[in-house]
Amino acid sequence: MNRVTGLLLVALRRAAAGLLLLVGASFIIYVTIRSAPGDAVDAITPMGTPDDLKQKLAAEFGLDRDPLSGYVTWLGRSATGDFGESLVVAAGEPVMAVAGPAFVKTLALAGVSLLAAGLLALLGAMLLGDPSARQQWLTGPLYFGTAAPSYVVAVLFTQGMNWFVHAFVEQGGYETPVWYPIPIASDSAMPYVFAGLVLLAGDGLYMDYLNTVRAELNALRNAQFIAAVRAKGAGVVRHIARNLVVPFVSAFASRLPIVLGGAVIVEYVFTLEGAGYLLLEAARERDFPVVVGLSVLFTVTIIAVGLLADVVRAIVDPREVARGG
Amino acid sequence: MSANLLEIRDLVIEFDTPTGRRRVVDGVTLELAEGEVLGILGESGSGKTMTTLSVLGLVAGRPGIVGGEIRLHDGTSTHALLEALPTVLRRRDDGPVRKDDRRWQRLVHRRMRPLWGRVATAVFQNPRQSLDPLMSIGEQLTESVRVAEPTLAKTEVRRRALEWLERVHMNDPARVFASYPHELSGGMCQRAMIAIALACQPRLLIADEPTTGLDSTVRAEIVALFRELMADRRRSMLYISHDIREVLHLADRVIVMRHGRVLETASSAALRDGIGTRAEYTASLLAASGLAVGQGDAA
Amino acid sequence: MGASTGRLGLWVSGCIVALVILAGLAAPMIPYDPVADVNLDGALAPPSGDHLFGTDAQGRDVAMRLLKGTEAFFLPGLMAAALATLFGAVAGAVAGYFQGPIRSAVLGVLQLLDTLPRLVFIILVCTILNPSILLIAFVAAILFIPANATVIRRKVEALASEDYILAHVAHGFRPARILVYHILWLQCRPLLIRQAMYVFGYVLFVETALAYLGDYGVQEPAPSWGNMVAQAKELFGIGAWPWLFPAVAIVITIASFLAFGNLVARRAEETR
Repeated sequence: MNRVTGLLLVALRRAAAGLLLLVGASFIIYVTIRSAPGDAVDAITPMGTPDDLKQKLAAEFGLDRDPLSGYVTWLGRSATGDFGESLVVAAGEPVMAVAGPAFVKTLALAGVSLLAAGLLALLGAMLLGDPSARQQWLTGPLYFGTAAPSYVVAVLFTQGMNWFVHAFVEQGGYETPVWYPIPIASDSAMPYVFAGLVLLAGDGLYMDYLNTVRAELNALRNAQFIAAVRAKGAGVVRHIARNLVVPFVSAFASRLPIVLGGAVIVEYVFTLEGAGYLLLEAARERDFPVVVGLSVLFTVTIIAVGLLADVVRAIVDPREVARGG
Repeated sequence: MSANLLEIRDLVIEFDTPTGRRRVVDGVTLELAEGEVLGILGESGSGKTMTTLSVLGLVAGRPGIVGGEIRLHDGTSTHALLEALPTVLRRRDDGPVRKDDRRWQRLVHRRMRPLWGRVATAVFQNPRQSLDPLMSIGEQLTESVRVAEPTLAKTEVRRRALEWLERVHMNDPARVFASYPHELSGGMCQRAMIAIALACQPRLLIADEPTTGLDSTVRAEIVALFRELMADRRRSMLYISHDIREVLHLADRVIVMRHGRVLETASSAALRDGIGTRAEYTASLLAASGLAVGQGDAA
Repeated sequence: MGASTGRLGLWVSGCIVALVILAGLAAPMIPYDPVADVNLDGALAPPSGDHLFGTDAQGRDVAMRLLKGTEAFFLPGLMAAALATLFGAVAGAVAGYFQGPIRSAVLGVLQLLDTLPRLVFIILVCTILNPSILLIAFVAAILFIPANATVIRRKVEALASEDYILAHVAHGFRPARILVYHILWLQCRPLLIRQAMYVFGYVLFVETALAYLGDYGVQEPAPSWGNMVAQAKELFGIGAWPWLFPAVAIVITIASFLAFGNLVARRAEETR
């Protein structure tokens, strides 16, 4: 079979599967909405919502129909990017107008942090190399690195900064930096840098990535075909790099959900007004359309990145095409 | 012998295992002349693979080579592979100083780099695992052609590569050129691997049990291919196997190894024709394969 | 050397796991009234003989609240671990052992559950339903099924082609017996233990994270490790005792559960 046709076939098949997943995942979200006790509209709107607004909501979410046709109604609207209007957080505005820009921010934060984690993991793996005695002693601390939840890291980090600034910088006659005592949203990029650092260290992201890449790199270094490439006098870097792409991309895609979850947490801690911050605010205020719209956006992103990773895998590894085509 | 391509003296290789240090190769000495095919015969664990891998500096594991000398002559100069590394080696011999491990490996690799391919190269067992799964046979073969002649034009490189595929009797060289390893059978992978190794135009080819894991008909084909490719004696070969028939068929001289030591060295003719007295182990190998002393040529 | 560090890690993490389980079992039997414990005169005291880990902003004993706080996640964590491990094992075994439409269907459902962003989905559920810690643990368990199933599926797939399993088939053992006894029970036990440990750690993580983010789960004045760490928000720069010890306890507990699970699985792999 022609390689390009094979690739196209794989891409198409994966896209179809992704679409199916999207329908399934949105159905789960919809069923969750419908599982609200009592009158669904009452349960999901803040107290004191006027009746006409409630009726409008019920119609938009298909709550006045049976679950299946209600789902189809809601899916039809959602597919066009119409998730209704915000109730509280930005009352009256379309959900996408509020959630979209915030989500882009979150995606950038999560994506850049994950990419940085990946590249640093690669660097660490190259420096650490084979498992040996000194790394046996590293595994203990490594578990602690793996275990610290991002909000604990964030709390320790901000408190540490706070103490540092208080103890040294202020007394030296310096101006208080903008991110003091808690970094606040502003034009400064510093809060984002800090959030990224916390994301990197929190939830074991970096340690996990490092372990994965290191195991792959060591397996490759000891692989027979690398010895064969050496023996014929060609450079091995090209071969190792190419063979690392697949595990690297897989690790990236599989960790994205964790990082997006972590982004929700660090945005809250650092008061960065991204999708995570918005989600928590909307959840607290029971601004239901915003919560649902954001949930769908997160899910779509995860499916899309998974799809993209599959396609990259198929491009790099001809065996994928053989398997899928 | 003046025209020795390879000389190994008193080579000792050890590895640390959970049950203590084990001596895998115990004072092996051997010589290989230009154009000669030397068979190394032994059961698994006899140290035959480690001996030959050490020639390429590809012994992985701790502590590895702990003593001895390896000399490769590439026609103009002599490379004493282990001489430059005595201090590091000695430290490695003392005990668990593992910090130097990768530094040592880098040193060996840097030293071996100019020799790999052009002077010596290898064909391993499990051909499928010897090929990069993500690159087409053509790409991997092209790499080898460029090792031998880095300045060749692109079209010429491709022509040479296809030529090599023909020389290892591939049916449809153009198709194989564009194929990936997973699309070929084990026998075809090994043919491709042989082409890739020979395309570097090495003076010494190391074949480490190249027929293990292949069907018996394919094995015969691969052995016949080696015999054909070595017929012009433009290169030497170390042929490692546990199959006495293969070794006798291909080699001029045979070294029999067991438990990391060389039991005996004899010419193939002498082994076949039962000239001279044999060590007990060799005799039992001959008897088991139906080539009992005095039976004449049966290979 | 490698073996001895592994053993040391196994002992240390095992002891901490045992300690947490012991605390979780003992906590309900210890009488504690969070309202009566309030002592505003002795607030934010550093660790001392009277208060081992100091006191919080309302003068309550941090050590005592830490002990009672295990109640909040212990049973839900156990439940989630059991649920996710059981269903994960069944789904993974079915997907790994059988072929055809059953396998595809199970894999599809697992992949579907895997696409839901865990934390975001839990927040969504909390918005719609009453956010009790039991519900949170239940949702976490369901979201963890695909991860567990994948681990078991890989193992089952690897085992299914091994000769001795084929020999069992040839001997005429029933598939259910081979699957449940020979594969899951005899071969996958260390993996199941590891995955159960992961889920338990994740429940602790979610409980504490949600308490920090949005006052979900256990409400004041009842103690939970999550709402104790959440006090850090109000105590920025004032005092560290009320939240530092719970934060450290969370990290150590999750680390020990992960480490213990990993080491048990690795040991089983090495001694095989």
